[in-house]
Amino acid sequence: MELIILYNVLKQYDDGAVTALNNISLSIEKGSFVSIIGPSGSGKSTLLNMLGALDSPDSGQVIIDGIDLATQKDLSDFRRHEIGFVFQLHNLLPNLTVQENVEIPLMDANMSEKDKHRRALLFIEAVGLLDKKKQKPNKLSGGERQRVAIARALVNFPSIILADEPTGALDTRTGAKVLDVLRFVHESIDATLIIVTHDRDVARLADRTIEIRDGQVINDYYNR
Amino acid sequence: MKNPFRNKTRSALSIIGIAIGIATIVALGLITAGMEDSVQTTFNEGGAEITVTNATNIGGASGLLNASFIDELKNVTNVSDAVGQLSVSESNQSFMQSRSPVMGTTVYGINASKLNLAGISNVDGDVYEEDSFEVIIGSRYADLNNFSIGDNLSFLGHDFEVVGIYETGNMMLDNGVYTSLSKLQNISDTDEVSSILVKTSEGVNDSIVSQNIKDKYENVSTLTSEEMSSMLDEVIGILDAASLAISGLAIIVGAIGVINTMVMTVYERTKEIGVLKSIGWKSRKILTMILGETLVLTTLSGIIGSVFGILIAEVGVRLIGTDGFSLVYTPKTFILAFGITIIVGIIGGVYPAYKASKLAPTEALRYE
Repeated sequence: MELIILYNVLKQYDDGAVTALNNISLSIEKGSFVSIIGPSGSGKSTLLNMLGALDSPDSGQVIIDGIDLATQKDLSDFRRHEIGFVFQLHNLLPNLTVQENVEIPLMDANMSEKDKHRRALLFIEAVGLLDKKKQKPNKLSGGERQRVAIARALVNFPSIILADEPTGALDTRTGAKVLDVLRFVHESIDATLIIVTHDRDVARLADRTIEIRDGQVINDYYNR
Repeated sequence: MKNPFRNKTRSALSIIGIAIGIATIVALGLITAGMEDSVQTTFNEGGAEITVTNATNIGGASGLLNASFIDELKNVTNVSDAVGQLSVSESNQSFMQSRSPVMGTTVYGINASKLNLAGISNVDGDVYEEDSFEVIIGSRYADLNNFSIGDNLSFLGHDFEVVGIYETGNMMLDNGVYTSLSKLQNISDTDEVSSILVKTSEGVNDSIVSQNIKDKYENVSTLTSEEMSSMLDEVIGILDAASLAISGLAIIVGAIGVINTMVMTVYERTKEIGVLKSIGWKSRKILTMILGETLVLTTLSGIIGSVFGILIAEVGVRLIGTDGFSLVYTPKTFILAFGITIIVGIIGGVYPAYKASKLAPTEALRYE
Protein backbone atom coordinates (compact mmCIF):
# COMPACT_ATOMS: atom_id res chain seq x y z
CA MET A 1 0.00 0.00 0.00
CA GLU A 2 1.38 3.38 -0.93
CA LEU A 3 1.75 5.66 2.07
CA ILE A 4 3.53 8.54 0.37
CA ILE A 5 2.92 9.92 -3.12
CA LEU A 6 4.79 12.83 -4.65
CA TYR A 7 3.42 14.17 -7.90
CA ASN A 8 5.36 16.68 -10.01
CA VAL A 9 6.86 18.41 -6.99
CA LEU A 10 8.79 21.58 -7.80
CA LYS A 11 10.80 23.55 -5.26
CA GLN A 12 12.99 26.48 -6.12
CA TYR A 13 15.05 28.93 -4.08
CA ASP A 14 16.47 32.41 -4.67
CA ASP A 15 13.56 33.48 -6.88
CA GLY A 16 13.94 30.50 -9.17
CA ALA A 17 17.73 30.70 -9.53
CA VAL A 18 18.18 27.36 -7.75
CA THR A 19 15.91 24.37 -8.46
CA ALA A 20 16.11 21.93 -5.58
CA LEU A 21 13.36 19.59 -6.76
CA ASN A 22 12.55 19.51 -10.45
CA ASN A 23 9.03 18.12 -10.97
CA ILE A 24 9.82 14.97 -9.02
CA SER A 25 7.28 12.14 -8.77
CA LEU A 26 7.56 9.01 -6.66
CA SER A 27 5.70 6.82 -4.20
CA ILE A 28 6.78 4.96 -1.07
CA GLU A 29 5.09 1.94 0.44
CA LYS A 30 3.91 1.76 4.02
CA GLY A 31 6.35 0.04 6.40
CA SER A 32 9.23 0.10 3.95
CA PHE A 33 12.83 1.17 4.54
CA VAL A 34 13.96 3.56 1.82
CA SER A 35 17.27 5.34 1.39
CA ILE A 36 17.64 8.51 -0.66
CA ILE A 37 21.11 8.98 -2.02
CA GLY A 38 22.81 11.68 -4.00
CA PRO A 39 25.65 14.19 -3.95
CA SER A 40 25.56 17.44 -1.97
CA GLY A 41 23.04 19.89 -3.40
CA SER A 42 21.15 17.20 -5.28
CA GLY A 43 17.90 18.01 -3.45
CA LYS A 44 17.68 15.02 -1.13
CA SER A 45 17.31 17.03 2.10
CA THR A 46 14.69 19.25 0.45
CA LEU A 47 12.82 16.11 -0.53
CA LEU A 48 12.95 14.85 3.03
CA ASN A 49 11.67 18.22 4.32
CA MET A 50 8.70 17.94 1.92
CA LEU A 51 7.90 14.47 3.23
CA GLY A 52 8.10 15.72 6.82
CA ALA A 53 5.81 18.71 6.12
CA LEU A 54 8.62 21.03 7.16
CA ASP A 55 8.48 22.79 3.81
CA SER A 56 5.92 23.12 1.06
CA PRO A 57 6.36 22.71 -2.71
CA ASP A 58 6.06 25.61 -5.15
CA SER A 59 3.92 23.34 -7.28
CA GLY A 60 2.85 19.70 -7.33
CA GLN A 61 1.34 17.54 -4.63
CA VAL A 62 2.59 15.77 -1.52
CA ILE A 63 0.03 13.17 -0.47
CA ILE A 64 0.60 11.24 2.75
CA ASP A 65 -1.80 8.54 3.89
CA GLY A 66 -4.36 9.90 1.41
CA ILE A 67 -4.10 13.51 2.64
CA ASP A 68 -2.86 16.25 0.33
CA LEU A 69 -0.70 18.35 2.66
CA ALA A 70 -1.45 21.54 0.71
CA THR A 71 -5.08 21.30 1.85
CA GLN A 72 -4.12 21.30 5.53
CA LYS A 73 -4.18 24.70 7.23
CA ASP A 74 -2.12 23.67 10.22
CA LEU A 75 0.38 20.86 9.85
CA SER A 76 1.61 20.87 13.44
CA ASP A 77 -0.70 18.01 14.52
CA PHE A 78 0.33 16.04 11.46
CA ARG A 79 4.01 16.53 12.26
CA ARG A 80 3.53 15.62 15.89
CA HIS A 81 1.52 12.43 15.31
CA GLU A 82 2.77 11.09 11.98
CA ILE A 83 6.36 12.24 11.59
CA GLY A 84 9.51 11.51 13.54
CA PHE A 85 12.34 13.66 12.20
CA VAL A 86 15.99 12.96 12.97
CA PHE A 87 18.17 15.91 11.94
CA GLN A 88 21.75 15.59 10.82
CA LEU A 89 22.84 17.95 13.59
CA HIS A 90 20.29 16.47 16.02
CA ASN A 91 18.89 19.94 17.00
CA LEU A 92 18.46 19.13 20.66
CA LEU A 93 17.55 22.00 22.97
CA PRO A 94 20.71 22.72 24.94
CA ASN A 95 19.00 23.87 28.13
CA LEU A 96 17.04 20.69 28.62
CA THR A 97 18.18 17.29 29.87
CA VAL A 98 18.06 14.14 27.73
CA GLN A 99 14.73 13.15 29.25
CA GLU A 100 13.22 16.62 28.86
CA ASN A 101 14.30 16.77 25.21
CA VAL A 102 12.63 13.44 24.52
CA GLU A 103 9.45 14.60 26.27
CA ILE A 104 9.01 17.75 24.13
CA PRO A 105 6.77 16.08 21.49
CA LEU A 106 4.55 14.76 24.31
CA MET A 107 3.81 18.26 25.60
CA ASP A 108 0.22 18.29 24.36
CA ALA A 109 -0.38 14.53 24.61
CA ASN A 110 -3.44 13.48 26.53
CA MET A 111 -1.52 11.60 29.19
CA SER A 112 -0.42 12.10 32.78
CA GLU A 113 3.04 13.47 33.56
CA LYS A 114 3.95 10.07 34.98
CA ASP A 115 3.00 8.34 31.75
CA LYS A 116 4.97 10.91 29.75
CA HIS A 117 8.05 10.20 31.85
CA ARG A 118 7.50 6.45 31.46
CA ARG A 119 7.13 6.72 27.69
CA ALA A 120 10.23 8.92 27.35
CA LEU A 121 12.29 6.58 29.50
CA LEU A 122 11.17 3.62 27.40
CA PHE A 123 12.73 5.18 24.31
CA ILE A 124 15.79 6.49 26.14
CA GLU A 125 16.37 2.92 27.28
CA ALA A 126 15.83 1.67 23.72
CA VAL A 127 18.67 3.91 22.50
CA GLY A 128 20.85 2.83 25.43
CA LEU A 129 21.06 6.11 27.30
CA LEU A 130 19.08 5.47 30.47
CA ASP A 131 22.09 6.27 32.64
CA LYS A 132 22.41 9.69 30.94
CA LYS A 133 18.77 10.77 31.20
CA LYS A 134 19.61 13.74 33.46
CA GLN A 135 22.55 14.94 31.36
CA LYS A 136 22.45 18.04 29.19
CA PRO A 137 23.31 17.54 25.46
CA ASN A 138 26.67 19.29 25.83
CA LYS A 139 27.82 16.48 28.12
CA LEU A 140 27.10 13.83 25.47
CA SER A 141 29.16 12.55 22.55
CA GLY A 142 27.99 13.11 18.95
CA GLY A 143 26.63 9.55 18.72
CA GLU A 144 24.80 9.86 22.02
CA ARG A 145 23.19 13.12 20.94
CA GLN A 146 22.04 11.50 17.72
CA ARG A 147 20.51 8.65 19.73
CA VAL A 148 18.66 11.18 21.90
CA ALA A 149 17.36 12.80 18.70
CA ILE A 150 16.17 9.37 17.55
CA ALA A 151 14.39 8.77 20.87
CA ARG A 152 12.71 12.18 20.54
CA ALA A 153 11.65 11.40 16.95
CA LEU A 154 10.10 8.10 17.97
CA VAL A 155 8.44 8.93 21.27
CA ASN A 156 5.06 9.59 19.63
CA PHE A 157 5.14 6.30 17.67
CA PRO A 158 5.17 8.07 14.28
CA SER A 159 4.13 6.23 11.17
CA ILE A 160 7.02 7.78 9.23
CA ILE A 161 10.59 8.18 10.47
CA LEU A 162 12.68 10.63 8.45
CA ALA A 163 16.41 10.76 9.10
CA ASP A 164 18.59 13.34 7.39
CA GLU A 165 22.18 12.07 7.25
CA PRO A 166 21.84 10.48 10.70
CA THR A 167 25.37 9.11 10.53
CA GLY A 168 26.88 12.03 8.62
CA ALA A 169 28.67 13.52 11.60
CA LEU A 170 29.58 10.22 13.27
CA ASP A 171 32.48 7.80 13.05
CA THR A 172 31.81 4.43 11.37
CA ARG A 173 31.33 2.46 14.59
CA THR A 174 28.98 4.99 16.20
CA GLY A 175 27.16 5.42 12.88
CA ALA A 176 26.54 1.68 12.71
CA LYS A 177 25.08 1.71 16.21
CA VAL A 178 22.74 4.58 15.32
CA LEU A 179 21.59 2.74 12.20
CA ASP A 180 20.97 -0.40 14.27
CA VAL A 181 18.73 1.61 16.59
CA LEU A 182 16.80 3.08 13.65
CA ARG A 183 16.30 -0.28 12.00
CA PHE A 184 15.29 -1.90 15.28
CA VAL A 185 12.63 0.75 15.92
CA HIS A 186 11.44 0.66 12.32
CA GLU A 187 10.88 -3.08 12.63
CA SER A 188 9.44 -2.90 16.14
CA ILE A 189 6.72 -0.31 15.48
CA ASP A 190 6.35 -1.05 11.77
CA ALA A 191 7.09 2.53 10.81
CA THR A 192 8.15 3.62 7.35
CA LEU A 193 11.82 4.59 7.55
CA ILE A 194 13.34 7.01 5.06
CA ILE A 195 17.01 7.87 5.34
CA VAL A 196 18.88 10.52 3.39
CA THR A 197 22.55 9.71 2.96
CA HIS A 198 25.44 10.21 0.63
CA ASP A 199 27.04 6.96 1.86
CA ARG A 200 26.34 4.03 -0.50
CA ASP A 201 27.05 1.47 2.24
CA VAL A 202 24.38 3.01 4.43
CA ALA A 203 22.01 3.26 1.46
CA ARG A 204 22.40 -0.45 0.73
CA LEU A 205 20.97 -1.34 4.17
CA ALA A 206 17.56 -0.13 2.97
CA ASP A 207 15.01 -2.24 1.06
CA ARG A 208 14.99 0.35 -1.71
CA THR A 209 17.27 3.16 -2.84
CA ILE A 210 16.21 6.28 -4.69
CA GLU A 211 19.07 8.13 -6.32
CA ILE A 212 18.69 11.85 -6.92
CA ARG A 213 20.70 14.34 -8.90
CA ASP A 214 19.83 17.94 -9.80
CA GLY A 215 16.44 17.58 -8.23
CA GLN A 216 15.40 14.60 -10.29
CA VAL A 217 15.23 10.85 -9.70
CA ILE A 218 17.97 9.28 -11.80
CA ASN A 219 17.77 5.78 -10.37
CA ASP A 220 15.29 3.85 -8.24
CA TYR A 221 16.01 0.25 -7.30
CA TYR A 222 15.43 -2.46 -4.67
CA ASN A 223 18.44 -3.78 -2.77
CA ARG A 224 16.90 -7.19 -2.05
CA MET B 1 8.17 20.13 32.02
CA LYS B 2 10.63 22.97 32.22
CA ASN B 3 10.48 25.91 29.89
CA PRO B 4 12.66 24.91 26.92
CA PHE B 5 13.82 28.49 26.58
CA ARG B 6 15.24 28.59 30.06
CA ASN B 7 18.83 29.71 29.99
CA LYS B 8 20.27 31.23 33.11
CA THR B 9 22.93 33.41 31.48
CA ARG B 10 20.61 34.68 28.79
CA SER B 11 17.84 35.37 31.31
CA ALA B 12 20.24 37.19 33.63
CA LEU B 13 21.50 39.37 30.76
CA SER B 14 17.94 40.11 29.65
CA ILE B 15 16.93 41.04 33.19
CA ILE B 16 19.92 43.39 33.50
CA GLY B 17 19.11 45.00 30.15
CA ILE B 18 15.48 45.58 31.03
CA ALA B 19 16.24 46.58 34.64
CA ILE B 20 18.51 49.38 33.40
CA GLY B 21 15.56 50.79 31.46
CA ILE B 22 13.28 50.57 34.47
CA ALA B 23 15.91 52.02 36.79
CA THR B 24 16.20 55.03 34.46
CA ILE B 25 12.44 55.62 34.50
CA VAL B 26 12.19 55.17 38.28
CA ALA B 27 15.22 57.30 39.19
CA LEU B 28 14.24 60.22 36.97
CA GLY B 29 10.59 59.84 38.03
CA LEU B 30 11.51 60.15 41.71
CA ILE B 31 13.74 63.15 41.06
CA THR B 32 11.22 65.06 38.95
CA ALA B 33 8.43 64.34 41.46
CA GLY B 34 10.76 65.65 44.16
CA MET B 35 11.45 68.81 42.13
CA GLU B 36 7.77 69.52 41.63
CA ASP B 37 6.99 68.87 45.27
CA SER B 38 9.72 71.15 46.62
CA VAL B 39 8.62 74.01 44.38
CA GLN B 40 4.99 73.59 45.31
CA THR B 41 5.84 73.44 49.00
CA THR B 42 8.01 76.53 48.69
CA PHE B 43 5.25 78.61 47.29
CA ASN B 44 2.44 78.01 49.72
CA GLU B 45 0.47 81.07 50.72
CA GLY B 46 1.38 83.13 53.77
CA GLY B 47 -0.96 84.86 56.19
CA ALA B 48 -1.16 88.39 54.79
CA GLU B 49 -2.94 89.03 51.52
CA ILE B 50 -0.88 92.04 50.41
CA THR B 51 2.79 92.82 50.83
CA VAL B 52 3.69 96.50 50.52
CA THR B 53 7.25 97.54 49.76
CA ASN B 54 9.05 100.69 48.80
CA ALA B 55 8.76 101.18 45.03
CA THR B 56 12.50 101.71 44.85
CA ASN B 57 13.05 98.40 46.55
CA ILE B 58 14.85 96.11 44.16
CA GLY B 59 15.19 92.59 45.40
CA GLY B 60 14.89 93.75 49.01
CA ALA B 61 18.28 95.43 48.76
CA SER B 62 17.25 98.96 49.43
CA GLY B 63 14.35 101.25 50.01
CA LEU B 64 12.90 100.95 53.46
CA LEU B 65 9.52 102.24 54.56
CA ASN B 66 8.86 104.59 57.42
CA ALA B 67 7.23 102.74 60.34
CA SER B 68 4.58 105.45 60.64
CA PHE B 69 3.31 104.25 57.28
CA ILE B 70 1.95 101.13 59.00
CA ASP B 71 -0.71 103.12 60.82
CA GLU B 72 -1.60 104.96 57.62
CA LEU B 73 -2.20 101.68 55.84
CA LYS B 74 -4.44 100.46 58.67
CA ASN B 75 -6.74 103.35 57.83
CA VAL B 76 -7.11 102.36 54.18
CA THR B 77 -10.59 101.05 53.43
CA ASN B 78 -10.97 97.27 53.81
CA VAL B 79 -7.58 96.84 55.50
CA SER B 80 -8.13 94.97 58.75
CA ASP B 81 -4.55 94.85 59.97
CA ALA B 82 -1.01 95.72 58.98
CA VAL B 83 2.37 94.93 60.42
CA GLY B 84 5.87 96.04 59.61
CA GLN B 85 8.61 93.56 58.87
CA LEU B 86 12.31 94.25 58.65
CA SER B 87 14.63 91.82 56.98
CA VAL B 88 18.37 92.00 57.58
CA SER B 89 20.89 89.73 55.95
CA GLU B 90 24.18 88.91 57.50
CA SER B 91 27.23 90.17 55.64
CA ASN B 92 29.43 87.64 53.92
CA GLN B 93 32.20 88.11 56.43
CA SER B 94 29.95 87.35 59.38
CA PHE B 95 28.43 84.51 57.42
CA MET B 96 31.88 82.95 57.15
CA GLN B 97 32.15 83.05 60.93
CA SER B 98 28.63 81.85 61.55
CA ARG B 99 27.54 78.30 62.26
CA SER B 100 25.58 78.11 59.04
CA PRO B 101 27.35 75.69 56.68
CA VAL B 102 25.16 76.50 53.72
CA MET B 103 24.27 80.10 53.28
CA GLY B 104 24.10 83.44 54.98
CA THR B 105 21.28 84.09 57.38
CA THR B 106 18.45 86.52 56.85
CA VAL B 107 16.68 87.50 60.03
CA TYR B 108 13.17 88.94 59.94
CA GLY B 109 11.96 91.27 62.62
CA ILE B 110 8.24 91.31 63.30
CA ASN B 111 6.02 91.95 66.28
CA ALA B 112 5.56 88.57 68.03
CA SER B 113 1.78 89.03 68.30
CA LYS B 114 1.57 89.53 64.52
CA LEU B 115 3.51 86.43 63.43
CA ASN B 116 0.30 84.99 61.98
CA LEU B 117 0.45 87.67 59.26
CA ALA B 118 3.79 86.24 58.20
CA GLY B 119 2.11 82.81 57.96
CA ILE B 120 3.57 81.47 61.22
CA SER B 121 1.14 80.02 63.71
CA ASN B 122 2.55 76.72 64.87
CA VAL B 123 5.60 77.24 67.08
CA ASP B 124 7.21 74.46 69.04
CA GLY B 125 8.63 76.00 72.25
CA ASP B 126 8.14 79.69 72.98
CA VAL B 127 7.78 82.80 70.89
CA TYR B 128 10.47 85.45 71.45
CA GLU B 129 9.92 88.23 73.96
CA GLU B 130 9.76 91.77 72.59
CA ASP B 131 13.11 93.56 72.52
CA SER B 132 15.01 90.43 73.62
CA PHE B 133 17.93 88.51 72.10
CA GLU B 134 15.62 85.64 71.32
CA VAL B 135 14.66 84.11 67.97
CA ILE B 136 12.39 81.47 66.56
CA ILE B 137 13.67 79.55 63.60
CA GLY B 138 12.06 77.55 60.83
CA SER B 139 12.25 73.76 60.94
CA ARG B 140 14.23 73.57 57.71
CA TYR B 141 16.72 76.17 58.94
CA ALA B 142 17.05 74.17 62.17
CA ASP B 143 17.67 70.96 60.26
CA LEU B 144 20.17 72.43 57.84
CA ASN B 145 22.17 74.21 60.53
CA ASN B 146 21.66 71.61 63.22
CA PHE B 147 19.99 74.01 65.64
CA SER B 148 17.65 73.08 68.46
CA ILE B 149 15.83 75.01 71.16
CA GLY B 150 18.26 76.50 73.68
CA ASP B 151 21.11 76.90 71.16
CA ASN B 152 22.63 80.29 70.44
CA LEU B 153 22.64 81.80 66.98
CA SER B 154 25.25 84.40 66.19
CA PHE B 155 24.00 87.31 64.11
CA LEU B 156 25.59 90.71 63.48
CA GLY B 157 27.92 90.13 66.38
CA HIS B 158 25.16 89.27 68.83
CA ASP B 159 24.11 85.95 70.29
CA PHE B 160 20.42 85.14 69.94
CA GLU B 161 18.87 82.29 71.87
CA VAL B 162 16.66 79.93 69.90
CA VAL B 163 13.46 79.74 71.93
CA GLY B 164 11.14 78.10 69.41
CA ILE B 165 11.02 76.24 66.15
CA TYR B 166 8.12 76.67 63.76
CA GLU B 167 6.92 74.72 60.77
CA THR B 168 4.60 76.00 58.05
CA GLY B 169 5.21 73.55 55.21
CA ASN B 170 6.44 76.49 53.11
CA MET B 171 10.03 75.76 52.18
CA MET B 172 11.13 79.40 52.04
CA LEU B 173 9.33 80.37 55.23
CA ASP B 174 10.66 77.34 57.08
CA ASN B 175 14.17 78.44 56.22
CA GLY B 176 13.70 81.74 58.08
CA VAL B 177 14.74 83.26 61.41
CA TYR B 178 12.35 85.62 63.20
CA THR B 179 12.96 87.96 66.10
CA SER B 180 11.49 91.03 67.67
CA LEU B 181 11.18 93.95 65.24
CA SER B 182 12.39 96.49 67.82
CA LYS B 183 15.48 94.42 68.65
CA LEU B 184 16.38 93.94 64.97
CA GLN B 185 15.86 97.67 64.32
CA ASN B 186 18.01 98.41 67.31
CA ILE B 187 20.99 96.27 66.30
CA SER B 188 20.80 97.32 62.67
CA ASP B 189 20.46 100.94 63.64
CA THR B 190 17.25 101.78 61.86
CA ASP B 191 13.67 102.57 62.80
CA GLU B 192 12.22 101.70 59.42
CA VAL B 193 10.78 98.47 57.97
CA SER B 194 11.47 96.56 54.73
CA SER B 195 7.90 95.66 54.00
CA ILE B 196 4.41 95.91 55.43
CA LEU B 197 2.19 92.85 55.53
CA VAL B 198 -1.43 93.84 55.02
CA LYS B 199 -4.41 91.76 56.05
CA THR B 200 -7.61 92.65 54.24
CA SER B 201 -11.14 92.44 55.60
CA GLU B 202 -13.06 89.22 55.05
CA GLY B 203 -14.71 88.88 51.65
CA VAL B 204 -13.13 91.87 49.92
CA ASN B 205 -11.31 91.82 46.62
CA ASP B 206 -7.60 91.98 47.44
CA SER B 207 -6.73 93.40 44.03
CA ILE B 208 -9.01 96.41 44.60
CA VAL B 209 -7.48 97.07 48.01
CA SER B 210 -4.02 96.69 46.51
CA GLN B 211 -4.87 99.15 43.73
CA ASN B 212 -6.29 101.62 46.30
CA ILE B 213 -3.00 101.51 48.20
CA LYS B 214 -0.99 102.13 45.05
CA ASP B 215 -3.29 104.96 44.01
CA LYS B 216 -3.02 106.59 47.40
CA TYR B 217 0.73 106.21 47.83
CA GLU B 218 2.75 106.63 44.69
CA ASN B 219 6.08 105.51 46.10
CA VAL B 220 5.01 101.99 47.08
CA SER B 221 4.57 98.76 45.21
CA THR B 222 2.22 95.98 46.23
CA LEU B 223 2.02 92.29 45.63
CA THR B 224 -1.12 90.35 46.43
CA SER B 225 -1.03 86.68 47.35
CA GLU B 226 -3.04 86.00 44.19
CA GLU B 227 -0.41 87.71 42.05
CA MET B 228 2.25 85.83 43.92
CA SER B 229 0.47 82.52 43.35
CA SER B 230 -0.06 83.24 39.66
CA MET B 231 3.67 83.97 39.32
CA LEU B 232 4.38 80.75 41.10
CA ASP B 233 1.90 78.86 38.95
CA GLU B 234 3.93 79.98 35.98
CA VAL B 235 7.12 78.64 37.57
CA ILE B 236 5.42 75.35 38.42
CA GLY B 237 4.10 75.15 34.86
CA ILE B 238 7.61 75.50 33.47
CA LEU B 239 8.83 72.90 35.92
CA ASP B 240 5.98 70.57 34.99
CA ALA B 241 6.92 70.84 31.34
CA ALA B 242 10.58 70.21 32.19
CA SER B 243 9.78 67.16 34.30
CA LEU B 244 7.47 65.84 31.58
CA ALA B 245 10.32 66.18 29.09
CA ILE B 246 12.74 64.41 31.45
CA SER B 247 10.22 61.64 32.17
CA GLY B 248 9.52 61.29 28.46
CA LEU B 249 13.22 60.96 27.78
CA ALA B 250 13.56 58.37 30.55
CA ILE B 251 10.65 56.40 29.11
CA ILE B 252 12.11 56.49 25.60
CA VAL B 253 15.56 55.45 26.83
CA GLY B 254 14.07 52.75 29.07
CA ALA B 255 11.67 51.47 26.42
CA ILE B 256 14.41 51.23 23.78
CA GLY B 257 16.51 49.24 26.26
CA VAL B 258 13.65 46.86 26.99
CA ILE B 259 12.60 46.40 23.37
CA ASN B 260 16.20 45.89 22.25
CA THR B 261 16.80 43.24 24.88
CA MET B 262 13.60 41.36 24.14
CA VAL B 263 14.01 41.48 20.36
CA MET B 264 17.56 40.19 20.59
CA THR B 265 16.62 37.52 23.12
CA VAL B 266 13.82 36.13 20.97
CA TYR B 267 15.65 36.45 17.64
CA GLU B 268 18.37 34.31 19.14
CA ARG B 269 15.77 31.61 19.68
CA THR B 270 14.56 31.45 16.11
CA LYS B 271 16.34 28.13 15.61
CA GLU B 272 14.83 26.72 18.81
CA ILE B 273 11.42 27.84 17.60
CA GLY B 274 12.16 25.98 14.34
CA VAL B 275 13.00 22.82 16.27
CA LEU B 276 9.78 23.02 18.26
CA LYS B 277 7.75 23.62 15.10
CA SER B 278 9.34 20.68 13.34
CA ILE B 279 8.45 18.48 16.31
CA GLY B 280 4.84 19.55 16.05
CA TRP B 281 4.35 22.46 18.40
CA LYS B 282 1.67 24.91 17.34
CA SER B 283 2.59 28.57 16.77
CA ARG B 284 0.04 29.57 19.43
CA LYS B 285 1.73 27.39 22.00
CA ILE B 286 5.14 28.84 21.22
CA LEU B 287 3.77 32.39 21.46
CA THR B 288 2.03 31.66 24.76
CA MET B 289 5.24 30.31 26.19
CA ILE B 290 7.26 33.35 25.10
CA LEU B 291 4.54 35.69 26.39
CA GLY B 292 4.63 33.95 29.78
CA GLU B 293 8.37 34.13 29.89
CA THR B 294 8.33 37.79 28.87
CA LEU B 295 5.94 38.59 31.72
CA VAL B 296 8.14 36.79 34.23
CA LEU B 297 11.27 38.47 32.86
CA THR B 298 9.79 41.97 32.82
CA THR B 299 8.20 41.63 36.27
CA LEU B 300 11.47 40.41 37.77
CA SER B 301 13.32 43.15 35.92
CA GLY B 302 10.72 45.64 37.16
CA ILE B 303 11.41 44.76 40.78
CA ILE B 304 15.20 44.76 40.36
CA GLY B 305 15.13 47.93 38.22
CA SER B 306 12.93 49.75 40.74
CA VAL B 307 15.28 48.91 43.59
CA PHE B 308 18.25 50.09 41.53
CA GLY B 309 16.38 53.21 40.42
CA ILE B 310 15.70 54.10 44.07
CA LEU B 311 19.33 53.45 45.00
CA ILE B 312 20.66 55.52 42.09
CA ALA B 313 18.32 58.42 42.88
CA GLU B 314 19.02 58.32 46.63
CA VAL B 315 22.79 58.07 46.18
CA GLY B 316 22.73 60.74 43.45
CA VAL B 317 20.79 63.22 45.59
CA ARG B 318 23.16 62.64 48.51
CA LEU B 319 26.26 62.99 46.35
CA ILE B 320 25.09 66.21 44.74
CA GLY B 321 24.07 67.43 48.18
CA THR B 322 20.98 69.41 47.27
CA ASP B 323 19.98 70.65 50.71
CA GLY B 324 16.34 70.43 51.52
CA PHE B 325 15.56 68.50 48.32
CA SER B 326 14.11 65.09 48.84
CA LEU B 327 12.82 62.43 46.47
CA VAL B 328 9.09 61.94 46.30
CA TYR B 329 7.77 58.38 46.08
CA THR B 330 4.49 58.19 44.24
CA PRO B 331 2.74 55.04 42.95
CA LYS B 332 2.56 56.83 39.58
CA THR B 333 6.33 56.52 39.07
CA PHE B 334 6.34 52.78 39.65
CA ILE B 335 3.09 52.06 37.79
CA LEU B 336 4.47 53.99 34.82
CA ALA B 337 7.79 52.13 34.90
CA PHE B 338 6.14 48.71 35.21
CA GLY B 339 3.38 49.47 32.71
CA ILE B 340 5.74 50.76 30.03
CA THR B 341 8.15 47.87 30.55
CA ILE B 342 5.54 45.15 30.40
CA ILE B 343 3.83 46.61 27.33
CA VAL B 344 7.09 47.30 25.52
CA GLY B 345 8.53 43.96 26.69
CA ILE B 346 5.56 42.08 25.28
CA ILE B 347 5.78 43.91 21.97
CA GLY B 348 9.55 43.36 21.88
CA GLY B 349 9.23 39.69 22.81
CA VAL B 350 6.12 38.59 20.99
CA TYR B 351 6.73 40.36 17.69
CA PRO B 352 9.93 38.48 16.78
CA ALA B 353 8.43 35.28 18.21
CA TYR B 354 5.36 35.79 16.00
CA LYS B 355 7.59 36.35 12.98
CA ALA B 356 9.65 33.25 13.79
CA SER B 357 6.55 31.13 14.37
CA LYS B 358 5.24 32.12 10.94
CA LEU B 359 8.42 30.94 9.22
CA ALA B 360 8.50 27.50 7.67
CA PRO B 361 10.29 25.18 10.12
CA THR B 362 13.13 24.71 7.63
CA GLU B 363 13.73 28.46 7.41
CA ALA B 364 13.68 28.83 11.20
CA LEU B 365 16.08 25.90 11.52
CA ARG B 366 18.51 27.55 9.10
CA TYR B 367 18.56 30.74 11.22
CA GLU B 368 21.92 31.45 12.84
